[in-house]
Amino acid sequence: MIVRRCIRLGLGLSILLTTAAGCSDADLTGPIVYEEQPAMSREVEGKAHLAGKPRIQEKARKTLARLYGPSPKEIHVPEGAPLSKDEQGRLGVLLANHVQTAQGPEKLPHAGGYGLYRRHCLHCHGVSGAGDGPTAPFLFPLPRDFRRGLFKFTSTPNGARPERDDLRRTIRDGLHGTSMPAFEALLTKKEIEQVVDYVTFLSLRGETELALIEEGFIADDEDEDALEDDIVDELVQSVFGKWEDAADTVVDPPVPRTPPSPESVARGRELFLGRTKEKLECAGCHGAKGLGDGPSFVDVDVFNRVVFGGDPSKMPERVAKLDEKARELWKQKLDEWGNPLRPANLSRAVYKGGRRPIDLYWRIAKGITGAQMPAHYPGIDHAQIWDLVNFVLALPYQPELLDDAPAPAAAEGVAADAPAVRR
Amino acid sequence: MRYWSLIFALAAVFSVGAFAYAPFSADWWLPNPAGEPYHSVSTFGREIDALFLIILVLTGAVFIGTQAALVWAQFRYADRIGEDGLPVRPAQYFHGSQRLEVIWTVIPAGILVFLALYQMDTWAKIKFRSASPRTPVLAEVTGRQFQWAMKYPGPDGRLGTPDDLFTVNDLHLVKDQTALIHLKSADVIHSFFLPQMRIKQDAVPGMAIPVWFDCDRAGRFELACAELCGWGHYKMRGDVVVHETEAEFQAWQAAKLAEQGRSQIAGADEPEGDDR
Ligand code: HEC
Ligand code: HEC
Ligand SMILES: [Cu+2]
Repeated sequence: MIVRRCIRLGLGLSILLTTAAGCSDADLTGPIVYEEQPAMSREVEGKAHLAGKPRIQEKARKTLARLYGPSPKEIHVPEGAPLSKDEQGRLGVLLANHVQTAQGPEKLPHAGGYGLYRRHCLHCHGVSGAGDGPTAPFLFPLPRDFRRGLFKFTSTPNGARPERDDLRRTIRDGLHGTSMPAFEALLTKKEIEQVVDYVTFLSLRGETELALIEEGFIADDEDEDALEDDIVDELVQSVFGKWEDAADTVVDPPVPRTPPSPESVARGRELFLGRTKEKLECAGCHGAKGLGDGPSFVDVDVFNRVVFGGDPSKMPERVAKLDEKARELWKQKLDEWGNPLRPANLSRAVYKGGRRPIDLYWRIAKGITGAQMPAHYPGIDHAQIWDLVNFVLALPYQPELLDDAPAPAAAEGVAADAPAVRR
Repeated sequence: MRYWSLIFALAAVFSVGAFAYAPFSADWWLPNPAGEPYHSVSTFGREIDALFLIILVLTGAVFIGTQAALVWAQFRYADRIGEDGLPVRPAQYFHGSQRLEVIWTVIPAGILVFLALYQMDTWAKIKFRSASPRTPVLAEVTGRQFQWAMKYPGPDGRLGTPDDLFTVNDLHLVKDQTALIHLKSADVIHSFFLPQMRIKQDAVPGMAIPVWFDCDRAGRFELACAELCGWGHYKMRGDVVVHETEAEFQAWQAAKLAEQGRSQIAGADEPEGDDR
């Protein structure tokens, strides 16, 4: 009798305890900690990794925590990081709502990048910016993984870091046709600046992590000097350097836009269909009618079946069921982040990176980083790029432009010709 | 035990107190511009508010009456034990009163019929397609998870041409002009809700639904989604800007179109961001 009562009491207590714990913030969202790159502790095929090097792993972890802070709740900013300063010249204060001073924590007059990110972006882009937030599995395309510092819709050359204004524009206007929302009505200008800083911070941290893994990969676990301070310093400076260089490499079309006359549009059409001596392969990817169904890419029906045909976590199984040729093509046509990719449907007048002529100029001239769309400058000159821009802008309103276009042949080796993405 | 009735009385007094206080507090009253809590900005808003007031007064009077009757009955007929330990009033059983039932059915039915007929005209003016204004379309508004995409016809006044202006969560109109929009949805059912203009219309996939409204105050108002449409429902907020004059609207549109037509960085007239 007594024993039973004890058990009941025990049960009652534990239920009480778990519900009490269930109310805490930590339990609702899981602990807010940075996740590691898998390559930090596991073997990853074809990539640098630190499997079997426990000492180097430990050093890499410690270095990362020293440089950028141990968790999102304690942020460290290395000297010289390409982030904003406040009026007093303090670096990185837009990231947080408190700053640690000699006199203790000082409250800052804003929510801070982390707070805003956590509220507005984390559920898609994830705690460490890996694009793996809880909402991500339901989305196509997947949210961006910031940790490689690669961004698609930039004004800088293919593979280069984005300029601050590029990130600002993405966050303010969103990426149309994707689930990346426009935040103009939800955040103030000042808040957008804070969030831009935080995205940059996550990228810097992620790139440093990858650089440490690469450096550690070639080092010996027994080597006492592996990942020592000057080496780390050099790695970090090279990560920062790429961001600092970005502003100087912004592409401003040197020739003004050709007015969108029917002649210019017609010239653009010839270029698009690969009928000029430059033999462009737009139609091979984007399709003879610009519907995004060109033969260089996986067939639209197959693509839809694999990507949208059931549980997203079972996609690899659906890929495995394809025949060998389709499977090979599937592998080739993934983006830099290893996610499925589709050429844009140009008949809908929806452009992820914006519909301004300058946006389309950038897309066509420099390609889209990480997305197989190749750079076309200097293969064609600026005037020809404007003709293409005029054609792309006219197409949704004049679908008859491509009425009699012949079906293009699959462009072999298009991806190989694309300028390799710079890291 | 008759004092139990006082608890019921208290609840009723609180409710009536809130009801009487609401009109004197801008926060409790209807959503109106900050400076003018009693001015409803749109024509339909004023008609809807009048209907709302009639209903509020009717239900208020009925509420007070029924609560008073309830409390009085509880007080008057609470059981009482006499000195001999027996109830003073023995219970009585009866089959109800047909006359009373007829009265309390016919009166509310009459009120409902009155309201149904009385509001018909307003409903028709706001919702019947035949009543839609013969003005050019201000914009096509498409709800999608989770934002409002606006497409304005641009200078040529026609939608679906290269000079269309695209914005997100940003609706602009002119004071005192009836604005006509075509409401669409790209995915699930959303609801286009302008609280200050008292407009609420579901956006249904596959349909283009005309919605029209006006506003007699220039300024900034709210747009929200009023149909739970998914996890990001709460994010479907937008700005509504009412311009003082047509010229001001045209200037806004021209500036936006110039930006949408930008082909070089140089000559950027609008400094972007303020921390640089
Ligand atoms: C509903 C999910 C979602 C939310 C919320 C979200 N994003 Fe995104 N974001 C995406 C998706 C999806 C993409 C990638 C689209 C693509 O690759 O075509 C993306 C891409 C980006 C990019 C990369 C743009 C480029 O040029 O490559 C940045 C930067 C970005 N988001 C920042 C943010 C910030 C900052 C927030 C919060 C203020 C945020 N996002 C909130 C889904 C989201
Ligand atoms: C190797 C294949 C390939 C070739 C060749 C190619 N594209 Fe693309 N293009 C893509 C892919 C893939 C995307 C989608 C990228 C994304 O959504 O992330 C794209 C996107 C676009 C976009 C949409 C940009 C946006 O903001 O949404 C435009 C416009 C475009 N391409 C035009 C062209 C033109 C014009 C040419 C020829 C000069 C061309 N493309 C050649 C693969 C290609
Ligand atoms: Cu909605």
